[in-house]
Amino acid sequence: MASKIGVYFDQQNIGGGIDANALVAIVQQKWGGLAPVVKAYPVLADAVADIEADIQANELDGVLICGGSPRSDWEIYQFGSVQVERVNLLEQVVHAIADAEMRMQVAVDYVNMGVVKLQKSNVPDSAAIETVKRVLVVGGGWTGLNAALEAARTGYEVVLVEKAKTLGGKAVNMPRTSPLSAPWTELSDCGLEGKIAAVQADKLITVYTGSTIAKVSGQPGDFTVSITTPSGAVEVKIGAAVLATGWVPLADKYLECMGLGKSDKVTHMGAFAAKMLSGQVNAKRIAFVLDTTMAEEFAAAQAAEAPAEAEAAPAPGKQAEEELETPKFVKEDLECLRHLRYSNAVNSVAAVRMANLYCEKMDDAAQVFILYKDMTIPGILERFYKNMQNRLGIMMTKADVTDIRENGDHMTVECKNTLLGMDFDLDVDMVVLPTGIVPTTAKEAVMQFDYRQGPDFPDLGLFDGFTDSNYICFPYETRRTGVYAAGCVRQPMTMDQCQEDASGAVLKAIQCIEAADHGVAVHPRSGDTSYPVFNFVRCTQCKRCTEECPFGALDDDEKGTPKPNPARCRRCGTCFGACPERVISFANYNIDQIGSMIREVEVPKDFRTFGPRILILACENDAYPAMDMAAMRNKPWSPYVRIIPVRCLGSVNAIWVSDAMSKGFDGVMLMGCKYGDDYQCHFVKGSEICNRRKENIAETLNRLGVEPERVEQFELAIDEYDKVPGMIDAFVEHIMRMGPNPFKGM
Amino acid sequence: MAQSIKPDMEFVRELQAAGGESLKKCFQCATCSVACPVSPANNPYPRKEMVWASWGLKDKLEKDVDLWLCHNCGNCADLCPRGARPADMMGAARNMIYKNLTQPSIIGKWMSSAKGLPFLFGIPALFWLFIWWIRSFSNGWCPRTEDGRIVFGNIFVGDYIIDPLFMLTFFGACFILYRGVMKLWAGFKPEGQVLMVDKTKPWYMHLVDVVWEEIITHKKFSDCGADKEKSSRKNGHMLLFYSFVILAIVTAVVAGGHWVGKLVPVIKIETPMPLLFPVKILANIGALMLLGGLSVLTVRRIKLNPKYQASSFQDWYLLGIIWCVALTGILAQCFRLVDVAPPAFFLYYLHLVFVWMLFAYLPWSKLGHLVYRTAALVYVRMYGRG
Repeated sequence: MASKIGVYFDQQNIGGGIDANALVAIVQQKWGGLAPVVKAYPVLADAVADIEADIQANELDGVLICGGSPRSDWEIYQFGSVQVERVNLLEQVVHAIADAEMRMQVAVDYVNMGVVKLQKSNVPDSAAIETVKRVLVVGGGWTGLNAALEAARTGYEVVLVEKAKTLGGKAVNMPRTSPLSAPWTELSDCGLEGKIAAVQADKLITVYTGSTIAKVSGQPGDFTVSITTPSGAVEVKIGAAVLATGWVPLADKYLECMGLGKSDKVTHMGAFAAKMLSGQVNAKRIAFVLDTTMAEEFAAAQAAEAPAEAEAAPAPGKQAEEELETPKFVKEDLECLRHLRYSNAVNSVAAVRMANLYCEKMDDAAQVFILYKDMTIPGILERFYKNMQNRLGIMMTKADVTDIRENGDHMTVECKNTLLGMDFDLDVDMVVLPTGIVPTTAKEAVMQFDYRQGPDFPDLGLFDGFTDSNYICFPYETRRTGVYAAGCVRQPMTMDQCQEDASGAVLKAIQCIEAADHGVAVHPRSGDTSYPVFNFVRCTQCKRCTEECPFGALDDDEKGTPKPNPARCRRCGTCFGACPERVISFANYNIDQIGSMIREVEVPKDFRTFGPRILILACENDAYPAMDMAAMRNKPWSPYVRIIPVRCLGSVNAIWVSDAMSKGFDGVMLMGCKYGDDYQCHFVKGSEICNRRKENIAETLNRLGVEPERVEQFELAIDEYDKVPGMIDAFVEHIMRMGPNPFKGM
Repeated sequence: MAQSIKPDMEFVRELQAAGGESLKKCFQCATCSVACPVSPANNPYPRKEMVWASWGLKDKLEKDVDLWLCHNCGNCADLCPRGARPADMMGAARNMIYKNLTQPSIIGKWMSSAKGLPFLFGIPALFWLFIWWIRSFSNGWCPRTEDGRIVFGNIFVGDYIIDPLFMLTFFGACFILYRGVMKLWAGFKPEGQVLMVDKTKPWYMHLVDVVWEEIITHKKFSDCGADKEKSSRKNGHMLLFYSFVILAIVTAVVAGGHWVGKLVPVIKIETPMPLLFPVKILANIGALMLLGGLSVLTVRRIKLNPKYQASSFQDWYLLGIIWCVALTGILAQCFRLVDVAPPAFFLYYLHLVFVWMLFAYLPWSKLGHLVYRTAALVYVRMYGRG
């Protein structure tokens, strides 16, 4: 609760767009004692010392900076424990409002909203916990070994859990791998034995082989992990985990139509590597068939026949499931043919690598054909490919492989549409098909979380089982804070990428432990000191918050009372957006605060003369920057809108819409990220959840006698600044046509 | 059922040795086919040839008429993102054809690397030395005429040594070339029957067109580009080509004058001709043009950036042998004129050796292109590219 606020206007940023001195007078008059200091400076950035002096002299506990976007210069205005709030007068008023006469009105609204925001904001208590400086690495393959060593090198203790009896994982079949370092041209010895020896020798690393995770409970910095080992159950405390459980090969049945499993002359890359290593291959001519269209078409044809059968047989046990109070967790097997496509790059690299190894082994007396649909060599490995293709016995062409059949003592591969300018049959002694990389998380719940939302990572189906985060912004992150995925469990990748991934995930894990130690959010709101606080007195145990939290941060007790785990929380506010009783709040971001800001807007009674008023609740991660960019690029919008940034559309509580309607606003725009399969939400689910809640909001509005069309959600990507004015102006038009809010002036 | 293919790795090795060492670097992007100024839009070259080469499809390359449509300007190599040097591969493939097309193939083998040079040189060297030795019994090694002049005919007599032997060599080479062309021509033809829908001219009329429209004008060379390097290629080749034409005319006139002169004394020409005799003037002009052309082409080859284009043994062999023919001929004449007999005779002897090498080995050398390429150009005019 800021009770003495200094309000400062930065003329350098608002320039001649608005009369800063007039604003000073207005603020002084309106807020009086709440704002003992109101000043305008030509260049505010140069007056930081003055502000500090004001804070001292007047015991200010809040500072309101009115100038450029809060996204700029934030590092200049930091005053210890004194809260700082920003009013965006440059982008959202000077640039965005073309009509100079309207600017003052808009600016006054924003400044008042800023003052109220500060007034309703507190400095959060510390959520710091005592943390365990130990990293759990699940999986002792190439990625896991690298992760363990990397973590140990930073001084953290490591617990390494490997399911198999020995360490090494799939890498044991790849003693000579694609390059791991510059100049990225040669086959390189992967040095697996050395890594294993180093892991085993490291005093900081404890290794459990033949072991699996039985249970993970707690929160980042303070997890308790139960491990099932050959010598009984072990319980260890850890701070964060790296998930490096790797992959299993796609089942042979998916490639059966290409001969896999039917003929002993057909194998796949992974199995070929093992066979070659043990000297079981002596073929003179080998075809690596990377084009798997045959299998895809076969599967499509089967699927076209299948629906009839599926309809005929009713889903068994569906009724039984409904009867059960809490259905037992059943892992859905996410293995599918698409894993082959995802693995194409790794298989492309593997093909050129193994073709070379084989030619080398056979003293160039072998012929190896690579028949590809898309030769995909990732990144710098292009240099490797360049070198590998040079080998005499390697022949490559793009080709549609239309048939693979046994033909006496050899196989015949039928190739069409080739770069040789003709269709041809290739007689070979052996056919090698790609290996589908199926992440272990597609097959089982590896981490066995003891969480309210279940033992597995949520929504894995979206990535066919890969424990990837959403997109390039947040590699390694999973939907469970404190667990970071690396290697092929995250994406199919080559050995060098796995190595890099291991380092990245370990750094994330360490960052997470340290963040919990400081009581701040680890990501994406890195360093945020706030966290949700529950007023349990009013909680009705409706469980909405525990169910809707995208990160499973909230557990609950038998009665359904939520049990917060601040270190698991990413501070999006989805929980308080969900809460019908409004018992959840952040010290510096809460229901009452935004509601008060809405009420602070001056809404004229006369719709015809002074125009409508429309509230925009904008996602501060994507929509808000997009609006800043639009303004900076001189794309102004209607002066009738008032923008309030929110942490995430998931945090929008229905009460804010009601507040706006009772205040007399004529419409509400909810501007958030794209959702659906290609979602861009920082908090994964926010905009999607908001969209779902909109139905409830519509119902409420109907009950109130307000048309639900007055509230609309918009999807805006961060780079779509060009769409901003069109979006806003079209909605304003729409509201103009609808006429005034029936509540206006009541 | 589609055809079965049998890659021949030995062929790839030979091709690499014959100048196509970078061929495996190709990653089939087809920049070369786009870069080529003379490649047609339909089924263009040289990408498909690069793939065939990488796959060791000997048969495909040997029967490929497009190999001969390439005039080796090197645009493809300049733009190749992988340094696969398609132009050199095309040249190497042609070298392989010179090598393998005609019998006796041992000559082709000698011709493909410096190791064969002793044999190639040794045969005519011993042979002409033998003649010289026999003839030395009557007049000594470096005889002079009664009036003291140096006359090479005193040793290497036209009537019953030089002319018959060279005629034999020349017509022998022609015969071998004829067989090679027939083989090549048969290879160009697609399998099965060729049915011509339109009326077509007889082959010799097409040949006239080729000579008239392409060879005389060097049109394809201009199509290949006109920057400095490219025009030096065209100019050098043209100088060389026309000097050969002039020297061929001179030879024909002298031979005609000699043999027909026996019947019609008015037109009798005897060598050595006086320096101001028109035919002699023409001969010397031809010789100077030869030197000019050789210099231009040699300098160009030396200046080639090995990153894009290199010179194979065949390239240097041909340039070298023509240099030898030209220099020995000119020097022999100079020593004769300054009246120093031993070097004059020795150089004339060498001149005979090199001229013989030039003609006798023609079907297996790069010079064979004058026949094979012409045949391919005629074929394409008659039947298209198959």
